[in-house]
Amino acid sequence: MTLQALTKPWEPMSYGFLDGSAKREIRRKMIKAIAVPGCQMPYASREVPMARGWGTGGLQVSLTLVNPAMRVKVIDQGADDSVNAASIRRFIARVAGTPTTMNTLEADLIQSRHRIPEEVLREDQVLVLQVPNPEPLRPVQPNMSIARQMHADADYGRMWLQLYEQIVRSGRVMQGASYPSLVHGRHVMTPSPIPRWDVPKLHMAKHLTILSAGREKRIFAVPPFTRVEPLVFSDVPYKVEDHAELTCHRSGTRGYLMNEIPQDDGSSLFEVSDSEWGVKAIRRRDGEDVALGETWYKNGKMPS
Amino acid sequence: MAYVATRGGERAIEQSQRLFKAEMGTITQDRVAEIRTAMPYLIDRVMGEASLYDEDLAALALAQTGGELYEAVLLLRAWRTTQPRIAVAETVTQEGLFTHRRISAAFKDIPGGQVLGPTLDYAHRILATEVLDGQAHKPEPVEQATRPSPARQPSVAAWQAENGLLNGSTPDTLTGNDIPDVTREPLLFPAKRAHTLQSLARAETGGVLALGYAAQRGYGQAHPTVNELRLAEADVIVTHPRGTQFSAGRVKVSQAEVVSKKGEQLELGFSATLGWNEVKVIAAATLDLNSKGAPKGAATEEEFFLYHTEGVESSGFCIHFKLPHYVTFQSSLDAMRDAKAKKTASEKSPEPAE
Amino acid sequence: MSVVPVPSAFEARSNAAFKAILWSLARPGLVHEMPESGMAQIVEALIDRECAVHCTSPELAHLAHNTGALMVAPELADHVFADDVPVTLLDCLRRGSDLHPDDGATLIAHAELTKGARLRMTGPGIDGAVEVMIGGLPGGFWQRRAQVMRYPMGFEILLVDGARILGVPRSTVVEVL
Repeated sequence: MTLQALTKPWEPMSYGFLDGSAKREIRRKMIKAIAVPGCQMPYASREVPMARGWGTGGLQVSLTLVNPAMRVKVIDQGADDSVNAASIRRFIARVAGTPTTMNTLEADLIQSRHRIPEEVLREDQVLVLQVPNPEPLRPVQPNMSIARQMHADADYGRMWLQLYEQIVRSGRVMQGASYPSLVHGRHVMTPSPIPRWDVPKLHMAKHLTILSAGREKRIFAVPPFTRVEPLVFSDVPYKVEDHAELTCHRSGTRGYLMNEIPQDDGSSLFEVSDSEWGVKAIRRRDGEDVALGETWYKNGKMPS
Repeated sequence: MAYVATRGGERAIEQSQRLFKAEMGTITQDRVAEIRTAMPYLIDRVMGEASLYDEDLAALALAQTGGELYEAVLLLRAWRTTQPRIAVAETVTQEGLFTHRRISAAFKDIPGGQVLGPTLDYAHRILATEVLDGQAHKPEPVEQATRPSPARQPSVAAWQAENGLLNGSTPDTLTGNDIPDVTREPLLFPAKRAHTLQSLARAETGGVLALGYAAQRGYGQAHPTVNELRLAEADVIVTHPRGTQFSAGRVKVSQAEVVSKKGEQLELGFSATLGWNEVKVIAAATLDLNSKGAPKGAATEEEFFLYHTEGVESSGFCIHFKLPHYVTFQSSLDAMRDAKAKKTASEKSPEPAE
Repeated sequence: MSVVPVPSAFEARSNAAFKAILWSLARPGLVHEMPESGMAQIVEALIDRECAVHCTSPELAHLAHNTGALMVAPELADHVFADDVPVTLLDCLRRGSDLHPDDGATLIAHAELTKGARLRMTGPGIDGAVEVMIGGLPGGFWQRRAQVMRYPMGFEILLVDGARILGVPRSTVVEVL
């Protein structure tokens, strides 16, 4: 063996920033994550040129998957123009030469923080969700080693107890976003801090979802056509945010998750959280020929 | 199209970076060289936390970030990600270190002698304000010792082990590529010994100090005695593919052994890091000393201190709270309002809530 | 950094091979196309010095060894590349633990796709059920697989026929029709 055989021709930066060993690590762990849906697989998360907690887990997955033909969309809180989404999109395009888009229908890969777009994702699309805290048991068990044992034993009693106590105390489950959900009938997973509105979109979906926590070094996945069931009691049904009747004051679109904008007079206005859906609705209203995809929610309701 | 026109994200982030950089002016080779020469201990701290030994790159990272330490370390760690691994160096032993400073608090004198070396320990901490008036502060020349201390010294723990004083664990015989690498494998618990020591070596100095200090103040079971503190240089011995071994250079290292009485024997805590950073290795060795049998969730429990002293992760997570969280917040608000409405309704009607 | 980055041939091949692997496991029972024929591209996409590998073919073993991977017996391997798969191989594959299901192995084997035994697959990634024909595997293979695995412990199987690949993750239930 020679030194030459151990090295490679000098490049100022690997394609897609990550070097080969980082990509292979992510690939190997993605395989296992898909094979055991909802189970957190530890991986050797690399440092990337962004701060931990800012989407470094999602970014490593995206950088591993991209090639110059893959069209990438990045959103944060539903918005393509959110500063961190813009920053991640620009970085991916810069290091991997990928075309970018804001249109959900045109994207091959969507990296998102805290939202799933309102238009139904297809079976050729990959959704990469950024995950701040991959451990659904953290509120009842902050110690990672004990929590891992609880997953191994499918010991979710304390999780159920917590939900039960909330119902007794407040009349409902108080979990806002990150609603714990049972995947493939075996592992309880956090769907990442997406609103409750978005969790049903993961159930028996056509697209592949990969969830990645860079700081906590865990990767997990929901393959297409996989059961994702929010933890609920049979007599207290799952309840999404009460947004079905709200109308976006800018685009006029109605029946989707909204951002509440407080007004000086004490009232609130609402604007649709999926910013590109809002843009398309405005364009359509203004007479442009814009393709609107089929949406998961119809008239504010998720067909079961 | 008004909606689209308000999309200023990309421009805003570009300008925010320009504002940050504007304050520091032009970064030149000279500035980087000056930082490297003038601030060796800062360079050492950054290299240790980055687990990347390159003084020029560390100085550049400090120049580029205006001394924002967390940013400088992240910059180096991210650069490290892009570098191929071409060789694994030979194991460094304590007695093989080219030693500059080596002191023990456990004995008045030790085999090999106490070597004070470079330190501010006994300096009077008085600001040299005359420099601000234009008077240069020139260091007094160092006077040669009449009898130089040996460059290589045995470890104090080795002497204690020979005398049956040390509750010595069996030595780890792993070498080379067989040593687990925490930057190539996830950290799991109970942690591999190598992962623990590597994590402490790259931990954030302030974080290690905070938790180590907590243990020293009494939130740990063991009271540490500094058995040996050493600042040294280590040869990086690598093997050429043809089989010849050679030194690729020397790196500065710090290491601390702390001991504590446990029954009739001494328990040992150990830590080492790249660069010279005494506070860090003493605090880290204290945590190592206290970790055995520490209760879950205690500051001295391995999982607790390894997770929470990781500077790139902790600082990144801390500043991530600046990111918009309005969707999650809206989701919580919805649950709160609904619960409140239910409560009001149930107070009004005698019927129990659903 | 104004230059548009272009992937090397190696990078492009690994990326495309992994895409086929990824989708073959995300959609078990469906055949996917890799950029080339054979298993070498899978070694390139997945294997390096962090891996413990077993290869039955000497050429592939040479390639895997050159990545820095440790060459080991099948029961110690995280990746097993096999030309022929005796049923007994399934008994010794790593299955991981409930605590670490990811320690289960990945078996990459040659098979004849879309001709041979008729199988019915159900599970995550499958829209209802999928029927597929797979040949070139010994009798009792699928029965043995079901016997030795207890979800979430288990191993993944990637079946390669030329440039075509079909995945069977541990979550897939396979019935022989």
